[in-house]
Amino acid sequence: MTATAFVPHAFDHARHHVPSTAERLPVLRGREQTRPFSAKVDVIVIGSGAGGAVVARELARDGRSVLVLEEGGHYSPQEYGALPPSQSFRRLAREAGMSVALGIGDTPLISLLAGKCVGGSSVLTGAVCFRIPNEVLHTWSGELGLSRMTPDGVDGYFSEVEDLCHVETVPHHMRSRASELFALGAASLGVEMKSMRRNTNGCRGAARCNFGCPNGAKMSVDLSFLPDAVRHGATIVSDALVEKIDITGGTARGVRGRFLDGVTGEPGIPFEVRAKVVVVACGSMHTPILLRKSGLDSVHIGRHLTLHPAVRVGALFDEAVDGWDGALQSVYSDHYWNEGIWLNGVYSAVNVLAAAFPGIGHEHRRLVKSIPNLAFFGGMVHDDGGGRVRRWLSREPLVTYKMIRRDKERLLKTIQILGKMAFGAGAREVLLPIFGMGTIKNPKELDFLSGNSLAAPRIECMAFHPLGSAKMSTARETGVVKPTGETWDVANLFVIDGSILPTSIGVNSQLPIMGISMMLARGLVDDFGAHARKAIA
Amino acid sequence: MVPLVTKDFRRTTLRPRHRPIVRALAEALFSPAGEATPERLDAFVDEVDHFISPASKTLRFGLVMMLGVLRWSPLFYGKFTFFDAMTVDERVAHLERLDRSKVKQLPLIVVAYKTVMTMLFYEDPQELAGLGYPGHARKRYLKVAS
Repeated sequence: MTATAFVPHAFDHARHHVPSTAERLPVLRGREQTRPFSAKVDVIVIGSGAGGAVVARELARDGRSVLVLEEGGHYSPQEYGALPPSQSFRRLAREAGMSVALGIGDTPLISLLAGKCVGGSSVLTGAVCFRIPNEVLHTWSGELGLSRMTPDGVDGYFSEVEDLCHVETVPHHMRSRASELFALGAASLGVEMKSMRRNTNGCRGAARCNFGCPNGAKMSVDLSFLPDAVRHGATIVSDALVEKIDITGGTARGVRGRFLDGVTGEPGIPFEVRAKVVVVACGSMHTPILLRKSGLDSVHIGRHLTLHPAVRVGALFDEAVDGWDGALQSVYSDHYWNEGIWLNGVYSAVNVLAAAFPGIGHEHRRLVKSIPNLAFFGGMVHDDGGGRVRRWLSREPLVTYKMIRRDKERLLKTIQILGKMAFGAGAREVLLPIFGMGTIKNPKELDFLSGNSLAAPRIECMAFHPLGSAKMSTARETGVVKPTGETWDVANLFVIDGSILPTSIGVNSQLPIMGISMMLARGLVDDFGAHARKAIA
Repeated sequence: MVPLVTKDFRRTTLRPRHRPIVRALAEALFSPAGEATPERLDAFVDEVDHFISPASKTLRFGLVMMLGVLRWSPLFYGKFTFFDAMTVDERVAHLERLDRSKVKQLPLIVVAYKTVMTMLFYEDPQELAGLGYPGHARKRYLKVAS
């Protein structure tokens, strides 16, 4: 293997770059690489999701040579938009969508969805965009001392990101009938539902955002930030598993890894890249693993993981709901914010919804057949950092989560509120997210949720926003990265993704990750000269 | 489906000994009254294998272990038979019992496989059409024009 300046044609070019349409992002496919590979660039970005894509764009626009290394495969919007939901999961999501956080003690098993593809989890979001709530920013800037994390301090970055990925308010006519019923049920409890903002452009209401938009309307980073990064010279390589960051004399010098074999999917052909700056943006489940494998030993690595445990409640109506016609998510309520509960309208692909219905055999089939009459209401909990990420037997981490009593009570209350809203909207049967429990037909049947008697493992729980496993801090003793994103332990090694958020934020994480990443990337651009001098020294 | 430029990895998980268990489970879940043809059930086992195979070694090992536990699970209730040797009605009743079990791990076996298999089974275009799902047709966004 020889060290060469990085040029895309160092790859087997004819084999990997086959644009099927004019819009196809030029990505080098590692799974088709047949020779060891080496390169030298200014900046390596590990991960191409909401954090990595923003960093890659900013540094490429600043004239730096940028190489983005992504473990997952590359699929264009035309490709993933045509995939059935299960096929999207198996190609775009970690563990084919079957990742879980194991509950410790009185904690549910929590299903985790995270992306593993060019574009990362942004390809699999519901496109929901919230800024970090001011209360959270006040905690960060006040109690935690992160002085730049004030509403005014981050405002400009959020505005710019919102402009770049086309954040817009969902118009009323795009609310599905399911969302209208959710709003109606909320009104029956005196709760106002507000219109969401989402990063969409030309949404046609296919209600399957989280399997990849079939109309190319969701402005995930593979459609917004990454194309701009590539236009400014960045190179993206898929199927490239970074196994270790090279660290010499306390300074990051590059990375080593292997391309995933095209047949087995296991690591095969090695690669090595030297760089002045290394940015880790693998997300909260994999950033800690890479840092540990690279020799960083802060006790905070992998700890403090927050998830926003979420539940959904099904509501069976006499009328046809046809919840698939309209935006996947369009309404929300912050009415219970002070109680740590956030309510979001939800829907999903029909077969994915059916997967969570109670019953076996005939009873399950009865509910599945009633799916045109079903609406779904969702909510999530602003949680404490009870999660932990550890290296385990395979490339995927062991994620554990211990839910504190307060958060369990919040989760039960969320189910109760959603159930009441369902009955308030006129549902004749309600499907609770509790394993082994049939439908209920009367609001009084929700009373058992008032105490804390239900064992948490019986709750069907999911999470889409793993955050905080390499948290930012103002002192080495309390976190993994400095307020600039650079690690406390290794110079020129940055972490810029959701793992650095110091606490749970209580709202969907896509826009917060992008906004904070933009802020840190701009800081890196400003200080790049100093980092480059350190690299040479 | 649009042809994929990035080709799939080619690996499998289920061995011949696992397939009858998955098929028996599918029959109990989706064909308690013989709604699905034998050919459909056989093909469905391949779909399950195709879906779970991109997962990590650890997860695939766990899923295969669950099949082993499911096969022997009638013994937990004093029935000296294998899951895949039970009649369809017995399997449905057994799965309902596992689903309600207070032993934390047992409902998870049902939930894990039911989730994956339901998602795959009802992705079939004929099944979707039977549920009243209109495919790609959508109406609400057209209100923009009006």
